[in-house]
Amino acid sequence: MTKGIKYSIWVIVIAFIGYNSVYFKKLSEVKAASEKFNAVDYAQRLYAALTTSSEKAITPDQLINELRSDKAKAFNQYGKALAIGSTRYFMVKGSGVVKAITENEVVLSTANKNELHIATEFVFGNAIRDASAQVNLNDFTNTADLNNISSEVNKIIRNKVLPPFKSTVKTGDAVAFTGAVGLNREHLDLNGMELMPINLNIVK
Amino acid sequence: MKRITFICLVLLLAACKPNANNNSRPKKVAVVVSTLNNPWFVFLAQTAAAQAQNLGYEVKIFDSQNNTATETDNFENAIASGYKAILFNPTDANGSVVNVNKAKAAGVPVFCMDREVNSATGPTSQILSDSYSGCIELGKYFVQQLNKKGKYVEILGLVADNNTWSRSKGFHSVVDLYPGLQMVAQQSADFDRNKGMEVMESILQAHPDISGVFCGNDAMAMGAYQALAAAGKASQVKVIGFDGAEDAIQGIKDGKITATCMQFPQVMAQTAANYADAWCKGKRDFPKKIQVGVEMVTGKNINEYMAYGKK
Repeated sequence: MTKGIKYSIWVIVIAFIGYNSVYFKKLSEVKAASEKFNAVDYAQRLYAALTTSSEKAITPDQLINELRSDKAKAFNQYGKALAIGSTRYFMVKGSGVVKAITENEVVLSTANKNELHIATEFVFGNAIRDASAQVNLNDFTNTADLNNISSEVNKIIRNKVLPPFKSTVKTGDAVAFTGAVGLNREHLDLNGMELMPINLNIVK
Repeated sequence: MKRITFICLVLLLAACKPNANNNSRPKKVAVVVSTLNNPWFVFLAQTAAAQAQNLGYEVKIFDSQNNTATETDNFENAIASGYKAILFNPTDANGSVVNVNKAKAAGVPVFCMDREVNSATGPTSQILSDSYSGCIELGKYFVQQLNKKGKYVEILGLVADNNTWSRSKGFHSVVDLYPGLQMVAQQSADFDRNKGMEVMESILQAHPDISGVFCGNDAMAMGAYQALAAAGKASQVKVIGFDGAEDAIQGIKDGKITATCMQFPQVMAQTAANYADAWCKGKRDFPKKIQVGVEMVTGKNINEYMAYGKK
């Protein structure tokens, strides 16, 4: 009897250890977990979607008017961001006349004589990703993947959109644009907003 | 024998009787912070504790002294002592995961503040600064300040902290595109001011002709500035930090520090405390990760900011 109890205890102990040592998982689940996020593909699809659909964008002049009239409402209605805080990003589109060209930017004057600074050198950051409202923070467990989306979209702008524009633009040209503007609700400066461009066309 | 059995039954029943006083005692929340040797983390811990107290909880702050073993002791203490939630600032993104999982297994939710752990399932929520994006802005400013050329140094934070690499990667994602800028040294100073000074002193021996220093936090930036000032090079080297700590903000006003990124520890700490309160009241769905935006502070906008993101 005693031997029987002893053997039974050993069987239970071994079974317990064995149960907790071995895990069964579906191969499809393991493969899915190990697939790396392809930020290049994602960014290309995001950029393509942004260039074909900009109906939610407003003009910089309209944005400035609405911010001056009711800042809180304008931020809530038009501003987007993945992070919480005072900075929001706004999708804008419109046109303006080239007033000045420097090493790092092209300055436009809009219909209402507001200045818009198109970044032509330092195109970095999350303005385009966040203003697009296409990316959901909770779809990504890895923060690096989110960061890589911005990085790859900005690369497209720097490598494909800006070079032909910079090589041909001249003072006095009319330029049609779509892009993203970042503004801080607590430290709002509407003089000379900076635009991260998505599309730039010199209108003949 | 029958009398003994009867007495045992009576004692057993007495032990099962609900203690009428339990409901009147406030629930307890633990704040486990990486170190109290850095004023920024002192502010984070105290703000979290104050918010939890305002919400009616008894709070204790546990200092992990930048040591994962001490952190483990803190967690075991908090779990055994009946704390209902832990507001957590980890020492190690990987090493701290086991502590979070222990708390979770004990039914104690963990809300990470400022630093994350590499676990999607352990913490109930992680409330973090968007360090990567902040350092992209610093990188842009750095390139402009150095006119796209010159030698520079990078002083890293704790290598086990994901924030160290988020900040470094954000910075390099901009600066590395400019071949005129050359990183001549990169070394860790563990987010510590004194170590930052020692590392800078040592690097200056080999590289006396640098134009800029990027430091992973303000404490190291202040240490680096001290070393540069002692070497008579403070006016020729741009020093950049990260955090928005009091001495760095004053440093920018005095022209000693070129720029920093303001974090908002108050937002992170209060959000964590509010989430803990919501958990205790029955809420169970929390976002796994929340990013809190950071803002670059330079000599141009310094008058608009106070230390630690205070208004």
